[in-house]
Amino acid sequence: MRSGAPEQARNRFQSELEFVQCLANPNYLNFLAQRGFLREKPFVNYLKYLLYWKEPEYAKFLKYPHCLHMLELLQYEHFRKELVNAQCAKFIDEQQLLHWQHYSRKRTRLQQALAEQQQPQQQPPPHGNATAK
Amino acid sequence: AVCSMAVAEKSTKERLLCALDNLEVLARELIEMLALSRGQKLPQPGEDTQVLELLVQRDRDFQDLMEVAQQQGKVHQEMQLLEKEVEKRDSDIQQLQKQLKEAEHILATAVYQAKEKLKSIDKARKGSISSEEIIKYAHRISASNAVCAPLNWVPGDPRRPYPTDLEMRSGMLGHMANLPTNGVNGHLPGDALAAGRLPDVLTPQYPWQSADVSVGMLPPHHGNDFGLEPPGHNKENEDDVEAMSTDSSSSSSDSD
Repeated sequence: MRSGAPEQARNRFQSELEFVQCLANPNYLNFLAQRGFLREKPFVNYLKYLLYWKEPEYAKFLKYPHCLHMLELLQYEHFRKELVNAQCAKFIDEQQLLHWQHYSRKRTRLQQALAEQQQPQQQPPPHGNATAK
Repeated sequence: AVCSMAVAEKSTKERLLCALDNLEVLARELIEMLALSRGQKLPQPGEDTQVLELLVQRDRDFQDLMEVAQQQGKVHQEMQLLEKEVEKRDSDIQQLQKQLKEAEHILATAVYQAKEKLKSIDKARKGSISSEEIIKYAHRISASNAVCAPLNWVPGDPRRPYPTDLEMRSGMLGHMANLPTNGVNGHLPGDALAAGRLPDVLTPQYPWQSADVSVGMLPPHHGNDFGLEPPGHNKENEDDVEAMSTDSSSSSSDSD
């Protein structure tokens, strides 16, 4: 089933878009490392090729921007070697999640601080969760 | 003993000294002759006159030479004056040289800095993005909780800042593989991404695959550089045909 050139290009675009974002998943990276993909030269070349997603005109399609950071780290052999360890992947995952929660927590703290400030001036407000802004 | 006066290479000093020597010799001869003539007859009658004449002649030569020497002295003085002038001019030129060098240095620095400035202007211009686009993008990645966790997130929530196994399987790449459907909350152990066969129609189901991609947006040159089989596939499975594999690369890759 031969597809036309534009469709082929579209498919390639989509598959590369998907794949590069998969790199944001540390578990997937661990999977790749354990199967030896990260040791193969063609794959390393491919990772280098994927760096084009850093350009703004391509980056705007990324839903998971964490993948770009992972992609940059993957250019280093040391990082690729370390990913074989499950502990390493777990650590990255944890840190990633903590970082991900950072802004939410910051916002929550701010709202709490704001609520505490207003407390003495008002009647004690009902215990309410901060509404999503 | 007459030293040759016609030789031009001899210096004036030498000639003067030579002439003086001659005079001295002649004078001595004359005096000897006179002394002898006291005692005895002159061996040759005209010899004393000869010597006298020679003497006078030599004296005249000597005088001429002295004049020549004087002239030469004057010339020599002029030469010295001119040499001083030349020295002065030389030092002037050196001074100018120094100033020129300095000026060149200053200009070179200025030009270099100007170039650097132009470079950074260029760089800034290249990286400029409309604020609207940035805001749109920021909204996109935030609203989907891709970069900021949802406010009510607790451990156990399946949402993640990266595509989960479930999302990966639902995508285009995922459909190329035949994946078992076990696991918790869409998170499968890595083994689940096993080899599979290539299906036909692929439809993105999750928004992260970005269905609104324009056809003009092509990936950069993708030749046969990699020679790889994409991950997630069993290497022994020969039925694998990949969009990432080395099929005829689309030559319509115009870079923008």
